[in-house]
Amino acid sequence: MGKPSVWSSNRFWRRSATWVTGVSAVLLILLTFDSMSQMQMGTAQDIKNKVDKRIPSPVVINYKIDYQLSRKRGHEVPIIGGMDANGNSKYEEKEKFFGRDNYSEKEARELIHLGKLTIQAKNCMDCHTLLGNGAYYAPDLTKAWLDPNWNTLAPAYGGKEYAMATFLQNPPAMAMHERKMPNLGITKKEAKAVVAYLKFMSAIDTNGFPRNFGKIKGAVDAWK
Amino acid sequence: MHGSNLYEGQKLALKYFTVAIVLFGAQLLFGLFAAIQFMYPNFLFGVLDFSINRMVHINALVVWLLYAMIGAVYWLLPDEAGREVVGIKLGNLAFYVLTAAVAVVVLVYLFIQIGPGKESTIWFITEGREYIEAPRWADIGIVVVVLIFLYNVYATVMSGRRTGILAVLMADLIALAGLYLAGMFYTDNIAVDQYWWWWVVHLWVEATWEVYVAAVGGYILIKTLNANRKVVEMWLWIEVAMMFGSGILGLGHHYFWIGTPEYWWEIGALFSALEPVPLVGLFVHVLYDWGKETGKGNKITNVPAFSWLTVETFGNFLGAGVWGFMHTLPQINLYTHGTQWPAAHGHLAFFGAYVAIMIAAVYLAIQGKAGLKELKMTKAGWWAITLITVGVLLMTVSLTIAAYVQTMVERGMYGATWEGFFAAQNNEWFWQGMCWRLVTGLMVIVGYIFLVYDLLTCTKKQPVQESEAEVAAAAA
Amino acid sequence: MCIEPCTDVVCSFWSRLNQGPMTLTITLHMLIILPMIWIYFDEKKKMEQGDIPEE
Ligand code: HEM
Ligand code: HEM
Ligand SMILES: [Fe+2]
Repeated sequence: MGKPSVWSSNRFWRRSATWVTGVSAVLLILLTFDSMSQMQMGTAQDIKNKVDKRIPSPVVINYKIDYQLSRKRGHEVPIIGGMDANGNSKYEEKEKFFGRDNYSEKEARELIHLGKLTIQAKNCMDCHTLLGNGAYYAPDLTKAWLDPNWNTLAPAYGGKEYAMATFLQNPPAMAMHERKMPNLGITKKEAKAVVAYLKFMSAIDTNGFPRNFGKIKGAVDAWK
Repeated sequence: MHGSNLYEGQKLALKYFTVAIVLFGAQLLFGLFAAIQFMYPNFLFGVLDFSINRMVHINALVVWLLYAMIGAVYWLLPDEAGREVVGIKLGNLAFYVLTAAVAVVVLVYLFIQIGPGKESTIWFITEGREYIEAPRWADIGIVVVVLIFLYNVYATVMSGRRTGILAVLMADLIALAGLYLAGMFYTDNIAVDQYWWWWVVHLWVEATWEVYVAAVGGYILIKTLNANRKVVEMWLWIEVAMMFGSGILGLGHHYFWIGTPEYWWEIGALFSALEPVPLVGLFVHVLYDWGKETGKGNKITNVPAFSWLTVETFGNFLGAGVWGFMHTLPQINLYTHGTQWPAAHGHLAFFGAYVAIMIAAVYLAIQGKAGLKELKMTKAGWWAITLITVGVLLMTVSLTIAAYVQTMVERGMYGATWEGFFAAQNNEWFWQGMCWRLVTGLMVIVGYIFLVYDLLTCTKKQPVQESEAEVAAAAA
Repeated sequence: MCIEPCTDVVCSFWSRLNQGPMTLTITLHMLIILPMIWIYFDEKKKMEQGDIPEE
């Protein structure tokens, strides 16, 4: 063998591996602290102060929610309670949710707590995706609250929240495709909570995912 | 080594391997049900819904791989450390406790399935979070069993030979076990929920499991090719540096769209883009050693194990490296996220990176158990590796075609709506992709039957050879 | 000047490092890789002085 080289020394690589792993882990932890601080759920006070939160307070269920292109950020963002001239949320326009638009912070949090528990207990994620993660057997639910499909069904049920809740309590009865959602024994109370969760989730800032949501149906039909 | 000459730790390894192979069968069966439902949605509807089949499919996958991983460690540990496993009684007890717990969880999955929206469901029925659906009580049980396992490993190495392979494994297993804790809490905030969920899923498959595979792969190379230990261990440290260096911050490729800050676009894209590099290294290393050692006249002493290891290195590079890279940049992931893309990638990656090497480890154990100096490939073994490998490859291609359709139609043309989803699912190309997935799935299942048959019989079908015991007896 | 305005929802330390294409990720990569040069020369020195114990 020739002169010993650092490149073929186990010690050099062991030290490098330890260093690289250590710094990467520390960086990940620092980044996680920063991300967690940005990802805490907002409060009713934030909404009053018109502060944008990535994950807004659950009281957004009292407001109209939309998903519009933001010039500044270059992709679509949730718009809560109407849009001002600069393309930001106004947090003003309300919208009735099961007949009310004055859910307190506590009430709204309780609703989405039950909603999230139900979503896990019924295993929604093993057919659907939520925020794009899950299974691919059924549609993505990230912006389900804003899906044009529910707007067409809404009038017959007295509002889209009622249409969604009715569907959830017995999906096969309202099946729209051969591939049906099963009856998961979701109660009336749970259904309302799940719909609240879906409305809340549609207000989460997902950096523009999904892109062009519900916007380009016209383009598809154009060549038909 | 003859049957009776096995270390107690290695006998325990055989138990782990047995359960692993059984669960592999369950995985394939429930995957088959789920695949049938894609084409015939009324199949088992209301009895075993898609969600249940899929859950059992992916949970069986993760659990059998963990069983095989623990098994492989118990197999190589006494051999490397040069002594019996410390605390083997406790280790055996842990095995039976774990297996009973897994059986209960599976029965609950199949017969109770789901619960009301209450904390008690999370504790006793399902957590409803992909891959780690196991209820909380089982999580705690798993943690206890893993602690026992870690104790066995640490206590054995501390009082035995501490090789480089064992040093890497010790550090890696601690991280692997610790990460599981990140998936054990409940929150109403789905963004935070998924943030930590990925710590378990990504930091397992793209960091700690990969390093595990590099270490065990090194051991298999030494065993089957008589590769030079010093070189193998140097490669191992390089692999560790590259895998953790890219994989830890590569976690960011799951933080593009879940309510996380924008800087993850850049971090996730560019660190994860480097993740394929160590995977190239793996297969270059195996091919290099293959040429070098056989060139020196060394024989491959376990052909099936070595063949599966070769499949592993290619499969890992293709499935994780190439298929992973295809959708890892945010500009692309924006349209592929939540489509069949991750499914195509997930199949080849899990198979290539983990299934193949675990089968290699089982063959190594089969050889050791029978005390054979050499294990040749039998006909059945050849059919097994061919059918399973080609089956999964073609399945991946089918899913990739379906994924293209879904991305183009649902995402590109329809903007991700409910209508768009079904427009894509009903597209002829998508449908054909699903059809081929079913066919290739059956191919994998036939391969699995060959595999089980071969594992049970291959040692009896070897050409006559002297066992080590006979050589020793003749010398005496 | 060269400093780009931050368009993130929250402008934290990390998002400020993110100045157009790749600045953030290059910084982090350098932070991880450059010190390996020091490790290299340190090992080389030790090797030349012969204080590496036989493994
Ligand atoms: C053996 C290693 C790997 C395994 C077993 C693996 C497996 C998986 C699985 C199962 C998923 C889907 C998760 C889900 O169900 O939502 C996934 C997602 C993903 N993987 Fe991997 N992977 C591996 C390595 C890699 C590598 C090396 C890369 C990149 C170069 C990569 C890139 C991705 C990306 C970008 C996603 C996210 C897809 C999305 O949600 O949009 N993976 N991986
Ligand atoms: C008989 C062969 C198989 C069939 C029919 C099959 C079928 C399926 C089906 C239908 C899904 C659900 C996809 C969805 O959510 O839309 C799935 C998911 C999955 N399967 Fe398989 N599978 C088979 C073999 C395997 C093997 C051998 C592996 C691993 C080595 C594997 C790993 C996975 C993974 C990781 C997922 C989750 C994918 C994701 O969420 O991205 N499967 N499989
Ligand atoms: Fe990943």
